[in-house]
Amino acid sequence: MDVQTLVMRDVDYLFALGVLVVGLVAGYLVGRLNARLLRAAGVPAAVEGTSVERTARRFGTSIVALLARFSSLVIYVVAVVLALAITDLVDLRALWYRLVGYLPAVVFAAAVLVFGVLVGDKAEVVVSERLRGVKVPEIGVIPLVVKYGIVFVAVLVALGQLGVATLPLVIVFAAATLALIVFVAVAAKDLLASAAAGVYVLLNQPYGIGDRVRIGETSGIVQELDVFVTYIEDDGTEHAVPNAHVFEYGVVKER
Amino acid sequence: MSALKDLLGGLVTDVDALVTFSPSGSYYERARDATDEGDVDLIVVGAENTVGADAFVELPLEFAEVTERVRFGIEGALDNEYLSDGDDVACATAVFDDGVDTVSRVRVDKARHSGVYDLFVNSRADPAVIRDVLDVVIELGQKGQKGKPVGALFVVGDAGKVMNKSRPLSYNPFEKSHVHVGDPIVNVMLKEFSRLDGAFVISDSGKIVSAYRYLEGSAEGVDIPKGLGTRHMAAASITRDSSAIAVVLSESDGLVRAFKGGELVLELDPEAY
Repeated sequence: MDVQTLVMRDVDYLFALGVLVVGLVAGYLVGRLNARLLRAAGVPAAVEGTSVERTARRFGTSIVALLARFSSLVIYVVAVVLALAITDLVDLRALWYRLVGYLPAVVFAAAVLVFGVLVGDKAEVVVSERLRGVKVPEIGVIPLVVKYGIVFVAVLVALGQLGVATLPLVIVFAAATLALIVFVAVAAKDLLASAAAGVYVLLNQPYGIGDRVRIGETSGIVQELDVFVTYIEDDGTEHAVPNAHVFEYGVVKER
Repeated sequence: MSALKDLLGGLVTDVDALVTFSPSGSYYERARDATDEGDVDLIVVGAENTVGADAFVELPLEFAEVTERVRFGIEGALDNEYLSDGDDVACATAVFDDGVDTVSRVRVDKARHSGVYDLFVNSRADPAVIRDVLDVVIELGQKGQKGKPVGALFVVGDAGKVMNKSRPLSYNPFEKSHVHVGDPIVNVMLKEFSRLDGAFVISDSGKIVSAYRYLEGSAEGVDIPKGLGTRHMAAASITRDSSAIAVVLSESDGLVRAFKGGELVLELDPEAY
């Protein structure tokens, strides 16, 4: 065996070891640094109360720790692959090019996904807190819709980063939404107008049950209010007045 | 043995109809065969028509008291014209266990109409709303507020008129809220608010319109059993002046009473549920 090649191999090993050590140290430090940066940016307070954070807590960790661990892990992986490539123990050239090409996209996709889920969770918390003043028990659906909408968009972006063809997904989603909107708008034009007015009426209650009112040509005592209709009773006849009329004609409160 | 059968079989000889309460599937089939043979009508009373009977009366509340249960079933059957005045009816129901263990013979008498079926089905408010209110009141009667017995008065239905025949005693805690009696949170909420004086007003669809209402119905000519207090008097008089019904939990004897049209229609002991 040639002496020179032997020496070169040793140098290679040494170099690879150095790369590995530097990678491990750098990964650890980057992890620590990231954790501190995230803490300084107020991430723990921002994710407080979200379900992802709660799940993380149940496993004895936290979002910040997980993100820091993830950034360290990426660097560890890069260092290990680099070291293996230098020593030429395994032929990694193909893997290396792939990795270099893919890694940023994977990291970015993961970041987008985590960010999306976090933002979705946070939006759910914020919206439901905002809606707490509205004493309608069924209102709990709205925060969920907001949350899953955001998560869905995040998933689409992440998949797009990974090169998965999301266009059909987007098109199907958009078409379904559009069809739904058109259908609902056409089928329920009057209902929607009444519902929009009804939301105002229910929230602000310009008149309530027991008030004597006149809406357009119907007058009487309000018996019942719902999103679409106001029931007005007058001498035994009960009128169901669409709430849209409240805005069309205005309400006269009679005392 | 046959002497015993003769003795007790007299209960069901020559009846015009058999009323079964919440029968099991197999019991219903046997009853149907038996009634077909004897040319007797078969009426099923229960929470749900699980056996697919033709003549069915929906029972909104599992009345613990057998007399109430039977009365409700018969009045329901009368209202649906499954029975007619003067019919003799055998009622098969469960008292101690789930299976049928009791038979009673009743003569249908329109004049002794208690109105308990009317209370649920022919009131302005939804039957489900009335049932929910009764459930809440029964629970309140069982547990009281912090272990102490409480009184409460709920006026259900015809809320517009009731609101015009009453006045607020203080600010209405349900102002601008959209809480319905069936909502899960409501039991706790009403329990807390039951320490307030005055009546709760509930609309036809079950929305809690107001608490703290002083009812101003005219008590003139209202006839309720002696010994009941002002709360019951107020309840009876508001139901006479409007088409609402009223459900009262008595603070002194702990019973739940329902009024309609100024009359006492139903009396329940919450401890029995």
